[in-house]
Amino acid sequence: MITPKALPRRTFLRGLGAAIALPVLDAMAPAFASQLPGKAPVRMGFVYVPNGMDIRNWTLDYEGKLQGLSRIMAPLEPFKEDMIVFGNLTHNNGRALLDGAGDHGRCCGSYLTGVQPKKTAVDIHCGISCDQIVANQIGNQTRFPSLELGMEDGRQAGDCDSGYSCAYTNNLAWRSETQALPPILDPRALFERLFGVDAGLTPEQKSRRNKFRRSILDFVTDDTKKLEGNLGPTDKRKLDEYLSSIREIERQLERAEKDNAQIDPHMAKPYGIPADFAEHFKLMTDMLTVAMQADLSRVFTFLVTREGTSRSYRELGIPDGHHPLTHHRNEPALMEKVSQINTYHVKQFAGWVEKLKSIKEGNSSLLDNSMIVYGAGLTDGNRHNHEDLPTVMVGKGGNYFKTGRRVVVRRETPMSNLFLSMMDRMGVHAEHFGDSTGPVNGLNLG
Amino acid sequence: MRIRLSVAFVGSTLISYSVQAQSATGFNQTVTPVLNKTCTPCHNDRSAAGGLNLGLFTVPTSTTDQRDGWERIIQKVRNGEMPPKGVPRSAPELDGMMKFIEGEFARADKNVKPDPGRVTAKRLNRNEYSNTIRDLLAIDFRAEKDFPTDDSGYGFDNIGDVLTISPILMEKYLTAAERIAARAIGADPMPKPLEAEYSKKNSNIRRLDRSNVEASHRIDFDGEYVVRFGFPGERASDAKPVDMGFWMDGKLLRTIKVETRPSGLVYFNPYSEEEIRIDLPEGDHVFRAGFINDEFVKKLDDKEAFSDKKNKFIGMISFLGPHASKGEKPSRKKILICDPKTGDVCAEKIIAELAHKAYRRPVTKADTAPLMKFYRMAKTEGQTAEQGIQLAIQAMLVSPHFLFRIEHDAKPTDATAVHKITDVELATRLSYFLWSSTPDDELLRLAEAGKLRAAVPVQIKRMMADERASALASNFAGQWLEIRNLDSIKPDPQKFPAWSPELRDAMKAETRMFFEYMLRENRPMGEFIDAKFTFLNERLAKHYEINGVEGPEFRRVELTNDQRGGILSHGSVLAVSSYPTRTSPVIRGKYILQNILGTPPPPPPPDVPLLNEEEVGTAASLRKQMEKHRTNAVCASCHDKMDVLGFGLENYDAIGKWRAKDGKFDLDVSGTFPNGKSFATPAEMRTLLKEDTPMFVRCITEKMLTYSLGRGLERYDKRTIDEIVAKLSKSNYPFQSLILEIVDSLPFQMRRGELITSEQKVKAKEIAQR
Repeated sequence: MITPKALPRRTFLRGLGAAIALPVLDAMAPAFASQLPGKAPVRMGFVYVPNGMDIRNWTLDYEGKLQGLSRIMAPLEPFKEDMIVFGNLTHNNGRALLDGAGDHGRCCGSYLTGVQPKKTAVDIHCGISCDQIVANQIGNQTRFPSLELGMEDGRQAGDCDSGYSCAYTNNLAWRSETQALPPILDPRALFERLFGVDAGLTPEQKSRRNKFRRSILDFVTDDTKKLEGNLGPTDKRKLDEYLSSIREIERQLERAEKDNAQIDPHMAKPYGIPADFAEHFKLMTDMLTVAMQADLSRVFTFLVTREGTSRSYRELGIPDGHHPLTHHRNEPALMEKVSQINTYHVKQFAGWVEKLKSIKEGNSSLLDNSMIVYGAGLTDGNRHNHEDLPTVMVGKGGNYFKTGRRVVVRRETPMSNLFLSMMDRMGVHAEHFGDSTGPVNGLNLG
Repeated sequence: MRIRLSVAFVGSTLISYSVQAQSATGFNQTVTPVLNKTCTPCHNDRSAAGGLNLGLFTVPTSTTDQRDGWERIIQKVRNGEMPPKGVPRSAPELDGMMKFIEGEFARADKNVKPDPGRVTAKRLNRNEYSNTIRDLLAIDFRAEKDFPTDDSGYGFDNIGDVLTISPILMEKYLTAAERIAARAIGADPMPKPLEAEYSKKNSNIRRLDRSNVEASHRIDFDGEYVVRFGFPGERASDAKPVDMGFWMDGKLLRTIKVETRPSGLVYFNPYSEEEIRIDLPEGDHVFRAGFINDEFVKKLDDKEAFSDKKNKFIGMISFLGPHASKGEKPSRKKILICDPKTGDVCAEKIIAELAHKAYRRPVTKADTAPLMKFYRMAKTEGQTAEQGIQLAIQAMLVSPHFLFRIEHDAKPTDATAVHKITDVELATRLSYFLWSSTPDDELLRLAEAGKLRAAVPVQIKRMMADERASALASNFAGQWLEIRNLDSIKPDPQKFPAWSPELRDAMKAETRMFFEYMLRENRPMGEFIDAKFTFLNERLAKHYEINGVEGPEFRRVELTNDQRGGILSHGSVLAVSSYPTRTSPVIRGKYILQNILGTPPPPPPPDVPLLNEEEVGTAASLRKQMEKHRTNAVCASCHDKMDVLGFGLENYDAIGKWRAKDGKFDLDVSGTFPNGKSFATPAEMRTLLKEDTPMFVRCITEKMLTYSLGRGLERYDKRTIDEIVAKLSKSNYPFQSLILEIVDSLPFQMRRGELITSEQKVKAKEIAQR
C-alpha cells in the first residue's frame, strides 16, 4: 500500500484534512488522562526488527549494572535505568534443524511462537504466539485483545524465503497454529480502528448501527453453520476461521458499547502512509501510546519491517537494500551501513520510550507499567545465526523487574523462557511455552 | 502371459509382473549400492540421522509405498543438501539413482487413475472483491487500499488454502459492506461541500512534464464535484487552443478545450481558469490533467517552458463537492428494478434478484427470507423502504455465500468420489479465472439452463473480448512476471535520475498491453521470448531510445533494431529483477529459470558472501567479480546456469535502459549454455531461448493452471500439463488456446472428495464437539 505518490501528510492537512478532521476531534470528550481507576495495568509488547544486527556494535562485554552502552544501543542511554539488556537468549527453532535454507522465514515465524514453522508455501503451520496466549486470557478486559502494527507491506508477488510462505515474514502474531494476524500498516487505518470511523454519528445513529451490525453477525453465523454441514474438513476449517473472526467482532461490539467514552487522541486523522520512515514510526507509536494510555489494549506487537526486506534508507544516505547489505562479507564499509540502519531503528524506538516515560500513571509512568521487548530474530544478519539474539526489554512491568542491568543467561537458554516469564507477569501462568525450559530466574526485584 | 496384480494406491494401480521383476533388478543395481555406500551409514535404525531411517527404502516396492519420502530424498540430493561434505559420493551413481527412481515414478503415474484434485473453499481476494462489487452493484470500491494484504502461495494470491480471515479483515468486511450498500442506494444525506486545492503554492501538485500535472486526492463521498483548473501564463498571440484531458487513476474522464493566447486583459501575472462538473466515486484517487498533443511546448527550451511569459500550463486543480448528481446513479439503475415504495413485493423481487447474483447461484425462499428480515427491521426502525434494501445488501455482502467460493460434493470425505462440478460452479470458476470477478447474467443464465458446458468455447471468446479480461493481465501476468513488485522497488535516484512514477506506470502498461495483445490475438507463445513489437508511449520510447513515438498514449511499435524484443527486454521485467543501485545477473538469471523456463534453482545456503558493491564499476567489472564468486564449487553448481542468463541481459541497466558499458568498463554479455550453444548479444540469447519454447510453454501452463484453479499443482496434475503442452505443440502454441485447454482440462472440470488423514479425523471430531 506504500504509494510513492502519496502526499506528505502535513501538506494534505493544510490543504483539506485540517478543515474537516480537527473540529471533529476537538468536539470529542476531554482527555482521559489518569482516568484509570485503581492500579495501572501491566502492558506487554514486542518490537521486532529484521535481518539481525551488526552484532559487533550491539553486544556489551560485561554483566550486571549498565554502564556504557554500545553504539547501536546508544540512543537508549537516557533510559539505562529502565531496561534490561539480555545476553545468550537463543531461538533454537529458528535454526534449520534439517529443514535447510530459509532462516529469515523461520526466525520470524518462530520468534513469538517458540516453534519451528512448517516449511511450506501453502498449508502454513506455526504455533500460537505468546502475545496471543495472553490476549486470549486477559483480552476480554480491554476493547482490543491485542494490537498488531507494522510498517511495511508484504511482498506482492514471488516467493518469500526459500520455500517459507510469506505468512511467516509478513506477521508476528499467530492467533492459532494456522492463522496469522496481519499487522496494520496504514496510520489512517490504525486511527480508524482505535478511535472509530464514526466520530460524526449521533449516539442514536451509533446504537442503531451497532444493532444492525449485531443482527447481521447473527445472520452470518447461522448461515455459515448451515453451510458447514456438508463440507469436507479443509473447507470447514476455512469457515471456522470465519466464524471465530465473527465472534471476535461481536465481543468488540459488546465492549465498545459498555465503554461509550470517546477518546481524544490529540491528533488529526493521518492521511495515508508517510514516505518518511521516522514520521511513519512516530505516527504509529503515538497512536499506540494513546491506546495503551486509554487501556484499549494491553498487548501489542510491532513488526517494524519484514525479514529479508530490501528497504533502503535514503534519509541516512544509504541507497542499498537492507537485506543485501547485511550480507556484507565483513567489508567494513558495508558493515558500517548496517550499523547505521540498526542505530537508526533504535533511535526511533528510543524516541518512543521517552514519550512512554513522560506519561504519568499515579506515582509511576506508562513506561514503568509496561514491558516491551525490542529485538531481532537473527543475531548477525550475515551469518544467519540464532544464538545470543540482540534483545533488550524496556519498562519495569509494573514495578516488578529489576532494571538497569545486563543479564547474561546460560548459553542456549531459549528465548521462550523470557516470554514465559513475561506471560507470567501478565497473569498467565503457563508451565511451558514453545521450547521453554522454565522461566528466566532473578529478573524481578524480589 | 501377464498376470496382473493390484497395488493399493489412490484408486487401484495395475502393474504387470514382468515389469515389476525388471524394476527390482534395476533397483538392486542402481539404488542399493548408493544407499549402502552413501546413505545408510548414517540413516539407519540405530542412528537415524535427522530422524530419517532408510530401512523402509531399501526394497524395490518402496518407490511406490514410500513415494513421498523418496521424493524428499531426491530433492535433497538434487539440491546438494545431501550427502553432506566428507561422505563418499559418486556423482554418476547418484545421478543414476535419481534417474532410475524418477523413471519408476513416471511409470507408476501412467497407471494411476486420473485425479482432478480438490479445490479448497476460498474467500475472494482483494482484487476479486473489488471487481465483484463493481460488476454486482456498479460501485467503484478499492479493497486493495483498505483490506490487509492477501498472503500468496505458489506465487499467486488466489490460493484457497492460503487465504485466511482474520478479525481485522472481518472488521473491514463489515465496514466495507456498510459503505458500499450506502453508496449503492445513495439514500443517506449528503455532507456539506468542501473545497480542496492542489497547486504549486500548496506544494501538493506534481508536474510530470511540460504538459501534465498530477495530484492524489481522496473523494469522501460519491457525488458531483466542481473540478477547477488554473492556468498560469500565456502563449504567443497566434497560439491555438489545446485539448486538455482529465484522468482518474489512469482513465480518461473528460476532454475540454483551453484557450492559450493572451486574454487581452492586463494582468501582472497572466492567469485563467476552466471548470467542469463531473461525478466522482468515493475513494483515494490519482488525478491527472494534461494538454493532449501539445505541439506548442515542443518548440520551447526548458527555461521558456516554465516561464509564464512564454508558456501557459496547468498550475492548479481544485475539487469542490459533493453535490447531488444530476442523473440517476448507475448503481440505483442496476439495483432498483422496481420502485420499493410500491411495497414489499417489489422489495422482495429486488432482494431475490440481487442475492441471485451475489451468491452466484439460484436462490430459494430459505435464502431470501432472512434477508427480508433486514428489510423489515430497518422499516421498524423508522427507515425508508430503500434503506431497508440497503440493510439487506449490507447483510448479503458479509454472507459466506458471497465472500466464499464454495463447491459442493455429494461425498465430501470420499477421495474416490470423482465428479463433474455443476454448470453453475463452472460459471464461477470461468469468470474468476478470466475476469477475477463474478459471472455475468449471460454466464449464469446458460449455467442455470444447463447449457454452459456446450457453450464454453463461444463464451471464452466472448469473455476474452470483454474489457474485464484485462484482469488476467493485471492479476495473472502481474504476479507471474512479478510486475506488481514495480510499486515497491525504489531505484537509487542518484544513479537513476530517469526513474519516476510515470516511467514506472509506462513500464507496467507496456507489459500489460503486450500480454493482452498476445491473448486477444491468440499469438504463438514463443513471441513472449522474441516478439519484434511492443507497446510504447513517448516517455517509454524515449527510455528505450526509439524515435517517432509522441504523446502519452500507448500504441503498438515495431522494433527495428536488435536492442529490444520479447518480455525479457521490457523495462518492467528488467527493473523488478534488479537491486536499487545496480543490476543483478543472479536475480535476473533466477527470474528466467523460475518464470520463463520453469526450473527454479534451489535456495542459496546461509552465510553466502555477497558482492562488494563499492568495487563494481570502479575496480573490476561486475562479471569478473561474479566469476570470482563462482570459483567456490558450492556456488558454481547453481550459478553457472543462472549467471549465463543474467549476464546475457547486462546490456540493460537496473531500470532497463540500454547501455554499452558498465561504469567505465566494457561489457561482455556473451555466454554458453550447458548444451554448448553460445551467444554474444541479448538478441542471440533470445534466439537460443526461443528454442526452449516447449519448456517455456510448460512453465506458463503450470503457472496458469495454478492460477485458474487457485490451488498448488500435485503429482497427478502432471498428466494434464503433458496433454495440454502436447496438444498446443501441434499448432505452434497459440496463447488463447491455452486458456481453452485449461478450461477443458480434468482438474478444471471436475473435483473429488477430500482424502482424510487420521490427524484431520481427530480435528474434525474436536470441531464437532465444540
